[in-house]
Amino acid sequence: MNPSENADDSRPGVSRRSVLGGGAAVAVAVPLLVTGAGAEAAPVAEVASADLVPIKVEVNGKPVSVRVDPRTTLLDTLREELELTGTKKGCDRGQCGACTVHVDGRRVLSCLTLAATVDEREVTTIEGLARGDRLHPMQQAFIERDGLQCGFCTPGQIMSAVGMVHEGHANSDDEIRERMSGNICRCSCYPFIVDAIRDAQKVMR
Amino acid sequence: MTVSPVGRDIDRVDGRSKVTGTARYSADYPASNLAHAYLVTSTIGRGSIRTMDTTAAQNAPGVVGVYSPANPLGLRLVPGIGEQYAPLEDTQIRFRGQIIAMVVAESSRQARDAAGLISPTYDEQPPRTSLADEPRVPAAGPPGHPPSALVLAPGVASIEAALAASDVVVEASFHQPMQHAVAMEPHAVLAEWNSDHTQLTLYSGAQLPHTAALGAAIRLGVPPTAVRLITPYVGGAFGSRVIPWYDAPLAAAAARQLNRPVRLVLAREQVFTVVGHRSAVNQTIKLGASRGGVLNAVSHVSDASMPFVGYRQMQPAVDTSAVLYKTPNLHFDQRHVMLDVPPTCAMRAPNEAPGAFALETAMDELAVATGIDPVELRQRNYATVVPGTGLRWSSKHLDDCYRVGVRRFGWSARRAEPRSRVDGQWLVGMGMATAIYPGNRIPDPVQVRVRLRDDDTAVVSSATADTGTGGLTMLAITGAHGLGVPLRRVKSELGDTNLPPGAPAVGSMATASTVPAVEAAVNAAVAELIKVAVTDPRSPWQGANSEDLTYENGHLRGRGISMSFGRLLTTVGRPSVEATAAAQPGPEATQYEFHSFGAHFCEVRVNRYTGEPRVTRFTTVVDVGRVVNAQAVRSQIVGGVIFGIGHALLEDNPLELDTGRLAASNMADYMVPVNADIPAIDVHWLDRPDSVLNSLGARGAGELGTVGSAAAVGNAIYNATGTRIRSLPITLDKLL
Repeated sequence: MNPSENADDSRPGVSRRSVLGGGAAVAVAVPLLVTGAGAEAAPVAEVASADLVPIKVEVNGKPVSVRVDPRTTLLDTLREELELTGTKKGCDRGQCGACTVHVDGRRVLSCLTLAATVDEREVTTIEGLARGDRLHPMQQAFIERDGLQCGFCTPGQIMSAVGMVHEGHANSDDEIRERMSGNICRCSCYPFIVDAIRDAQKVMR
Repeated sequence: MTVSPVGRDIDRVDGRSKVTGTARYSADYPASNLAHAYLVTSTIGRGSIRTMDTTAAQNAPGVVGVYSPANPLGLRLVPGIGEQYAPLEDTQIRFRGQIIAMVVAESSRQARDAAGLISPTYDEQPPRTSLADEPRVPAAGPPGHPPSALVLAPGVASIEAALAASDVVVEASFHQPMQHAVAMEPHAVLAEWNSDHTQLTLYSGAQLPHTAALGAAIRLGVPPTAVRLITPYVGGAFGSRVIPWYDAPLAAAAARQLNRPVRLVLAREQVFTVVGHRSAVNQTIKLGASRGGVLNAVSHVSDASMPFVGYRQMQPAVDTSAVLYKTPNLHFDQRHVMLDVPPTCAMRAPNEAPGAFALETAMDELAVATGIDPVELRQRNYATVVPGTGLRWSSKHLDDCYRVGVRRFGWSARRAEPRSRVDGQWLVGMGMATAIYPGNRIPDPVQVRVRLRDDDTAVVSSATADTGTGGLTMLAITGAHGLGVPLRRVKSELGDTNLPPGAPAVGSMATASTVPAVEAAVNAAVAELIKVAVTDPRSPWQGANSEDLTYENGHLRGRGISMSFGRLLTTVGRPSVEATAAAQPGPEATQYEFHSFGAHFCEVRVNRYTGEPRVTRFTTVVDVGRVVNAQAVRSQIVGGVIFGIGHALLEDNPLELDTGRLAASNMADYMVPVNADIPAIDVHWLDRPDSVLNSLGARGAGELGTVGSAAAVGNAIYNATGTRIRSLPITLDKLL
């Protein structure tokens, strides 16, 4: 599953149907894992390379072709296949927001997004936010307002904040607080995150 | 003249790497030929494994190793430190969620899938889980901290007699559930050996890099020098990364067997049991006072859960009731209740946060009982020496914290009568509480290295950790301050056991302990520089006496010549000079008591119809000595206060008594505050240097905000509603 830019895929034109087919296979495999049927259970069949789903996706402005297991999340694909480890896994079940990225400009939880569903779409991660050495106003504001401590939730906070401003929903501190509440910060920088977003959105307008 | 950065608002020196995603945390390190591990944990609370068939897992795609009691990794336990069991070395189950197997595979998903194919059978015993019902045992207590004490005024027979002789007695019992650090970064490790397995490199988050490496070495049975631990970025800790858990030793042992690097990342639900938590605790406080509110007796008894598997004893009275208020009669007894639960560990203000919730709520009850304003009550019982001793504080300005806090918060608008302020559907209340936390330096020597380079920059290095505290920035600030050079010319580094052993990032001690070592290292590096200046034949000062040269603001001066250190080093053709120096506390450590102090003021609104409590305003004024980085201290205090709000209103993990199962093992069920729960928080510090503690006068601030903040919330809720909730968290059902 080595990504290659603009690589010619040998199996072009994967249909939505075949993606769904891969997904249906998961429905059989998952109960075995959840119930832990144990030693009597047949091992989960290895996903043959023929079952891998080729996707073409623009990641941080660069076209990428990659073949993914249809069960693989966008988060694991970013971190483990594309070596974009700025996106963090805090809970792996959509509870903490650390894995927030943009898909076609909308903020999504990459741990709840199957990689196969981002075919032909644009993904932006924290690594793709700055323009060269010039930080995005949100990144700059997070530094200046100390909207971070340990920094682990920060990529998700910033991607979520940028998405929220673009959604046009950062009009008051209370609105910012409400719409940033999917991103947990255990260091508890919340007041400073609100300050940073208030600053950055003035520049972003 | 260079302006010292000390005390100013300094942006984190690692801020850019954290906002661009380039900061590497433990699970972010690459390795060639990497294998991925996944743990299997027990699904019973006590007993033993009868059978464990791992055939299916072994045959699963991509699997390269399955480790279990049938195929263990030979780990050893460290007597007296951490958990007192070694995973996979026997079939005993000590708590639900204990490690019972580990699968290693080519990909993380293959490892996880195969782990799901392991399904053991058990011989089950009923776990002992009831904090209320299991027998209480006296705590052992760490050296110098007796678990119980009794101080009686002359002629007083017992604490009961002292209480009976008091005009007003308040007795209150409190319950706090298990709490979890829930650091955002799940515990993770990459373990990589060199080719002949003589050197191990661990990439794993740690608050004490050298201790973590040592612990891993002992558990692996290798010399301490064989383990290097790299931890420049730590995704939060709050006590959960004080000592290593078994993640690093397991990954390292598998990596040694498989002859390839292994990465182990705990799933979030595993973090709740493989990593320790704060004990559940029941406490009873008895306060006896005059009608004027002057304390005559304080009694504080605690029963904290203590896992049979071990680790940390809770001592909630030692740095709260034992030191906070003046009282002629004092009694505390900190007992334990042994349970079959996951290991405990320190969690931010490990003793002080639960202790202060109990004591500061009881003080509020005394204020109600005597009709005295809560701030006035505390001032009437202000301690100038530690009760039962003549020991004075190195620096104590708690009275000013109260005074400034009252003004900033607008405390005078408070009405003592509960339910007397109503705003639409909201009952509005105000409460306050005191914060206190030890302000010590670590007793052991702390080392710092300062390197002066020929480009007029300096590098300050110490193997401490920055868990989000701003430790890396603190090193740079104190280095720039000591050298008298601009901050931008100082680089700092930490989080690597190849650096000199530094201050542990525990107990709010890192800054106070590191400051003197930076100063010593600066002086030692300057002495090296002067030695070069007077001996090197290319130096303009060759042959001069060392005493003729002075160092100031990055320059050497003497004999009418002035030269920056970089220019001197360039002139003599040396890329750098460096020195390592150590510092540790002197006799003052036993001559004074050291604490940081603070006063919390909180406004809440409680919905009249739903009972929903909301914190709407918060002011905290602290006395933490001199502040090194205003921005970092503000963030630390605010973060601590929010931890307290979480304790007060949200955090709970009920233990299912029949099974020993934790009800909340994910971040939706174990609720921590989110942005919408938190108002703007007003933090102010007095900035009075503690010159006894260290030359800068800087004291710790990381945990202080967590102490007392939960009580301030609860006291405000009482003021709003007239309902006193002594069992945390204060959820809306308790207010209906």
